[in-house]
Amino acid sequence: MNDPSFQPIQRSLLDEMGLTEKEWARRRAWLAFTEEDVERLRELNKFASSYADLVIEELYNHFLSFEETKAFFRDPQTLQRVKSLQKAYFKGLTEGDYGLDYVAGRVNIGSVHARIGLEVKWYMGAYTFYMRTVGERIFRQFKNDLDKALSYYFSLKKLAYLDMILAIETIIFLREQTIRQQQEAIRELSTPVLQLREGLLILPIIGLIDTQRARQLTQGLLGAIRATRARVVILDITGVPAVDSKVANHLIQTVDASRLMGAIVIVTGLSGDVAQALVTIGVDLSRIRTVGDLQGGMEEAERILGYRVVRDENPARGTVR
Amino acid sequence: MHVPILKQGPNLIATVQAALTDADLVELRDELAAKVGNLRSRGVVVDVTALDVIDSFALRTLRSIAYTTRLRGAETVIVGIQPNVAFAMVQLGMKLEDVATALDLEEGLALLNRELRGGGNHGG
Repeated sequence: MNDPSFQPIQRSLLDEMGLTEKEWARRRAWLAFTEEDVERLRELNKFASSYADLVIEELYNHFLSFEETKAFFRDPQTLQRVKSLQKAYFKGLTEGDYGLDYVAGRVNIGSVHARIGLEVKWYMGAYTFYMRTVGERIFRQFKNDLDKALSYYFSLKKLAYLDMILAIETIIFLREQTIRQQQEAIRELSTPVLQLREGLLILPIIGLIDTQRARQLTQGLLGAIRATRARVVILDITGVPAVDSKVANHLIQTVDASRLMGAIVIVTGLSGDVAQALVTIGVDLSRIRTVGDLQGGMEEAERILGYRVVRDENPARGTVR
Repeated sequence: MHVPILKQGPNLIATVQAALTDADLVELRDELAAKVGNLRSRGVVVDVTALDVIDSFALRTLRSIAYTTRLRGAETVIVGIQPNVAFAMVQLGMKLEDVATALDLEEGLALLNRELRGGGNHGG
């Protein structure tokens, strides 16, 4: 955690998450984590050092008694390394230095958990375990001054919550980042608009259609209609796994927009299941021209455009090898 | 701004040159309705290529131009709706049903000529 090579990465992650000095101060204020709390935790430091090893031992015994958490510590070297990190972590709780470096450390923990796939329930559970064992020790130590014990305990608890929020937020942030990247990837897979004949475009849609994609698809299509002066567009939805009323509405919008630009849209590839589902949920597709398959759509389009495809019974030499 | 209306064979061509006020639109509608009768036109092309925005009043007027001229025996084609405009219109749920549309002036005239020959199958 104190490895300097980690720091630059952490700092950039902090920036991405918007964790500035100001934000961190707001968070402390929100949890009513004051200078007095810092002072109290500092007082606790010596006492905390005296039990750190024991608590960590207990915590790891607890980890090793559950199959799911044990799986993370198969290798004794890893166990040793994580234990020493854990010790530094627990000492850090009472060292009284709660600046952005502290935040970076906590964010790092979240990102490590996200990377190794440790679920939040184990992390939270471990933190609860830690608070329970430490709480017991504090109350036993100050049993003659329960007010004091309580105030120590509460200061520690506030800090624990600040920690947990940071770690869990990091996990959520990283997961959302993954989702964003995947969405970006899907967007880049966007649907090509292909010209099949003069005035005829084909748009094979594969995959799910959501609002974002429908918008992008429609805009791409409208641009292509203008650029290629298309009069007919075939929208093939064979590759769309599910068509519900929302998707149908997107399709209707695409059709309407294309029509405003003077192009006729033929939708092809509605499977039997999809057609039945649409009828069952009562989507009105009467304004859309639909043809069973792409071939039918092609034939319809050619008819509208006045093409007539005739098969040559005697193909010219050289076309058949 | 006044919209010039040109006669081209059996058709009338009205090319919108810049953004129109509501009064301009009404004037265009009245003038087209009158000219269709006077010149015995069979088709009307309204070119809106220059419009960046088509609001609900403009849309209603375009639709009423189409209906009015149809009653007087001429088919109206709206041409040149820009991709952005078309997209915005469907997003806002604005529809131009039973009014013919075409990509541009050329396509619009071709469409009217096809319809005149009686072989029209446009109308999506």
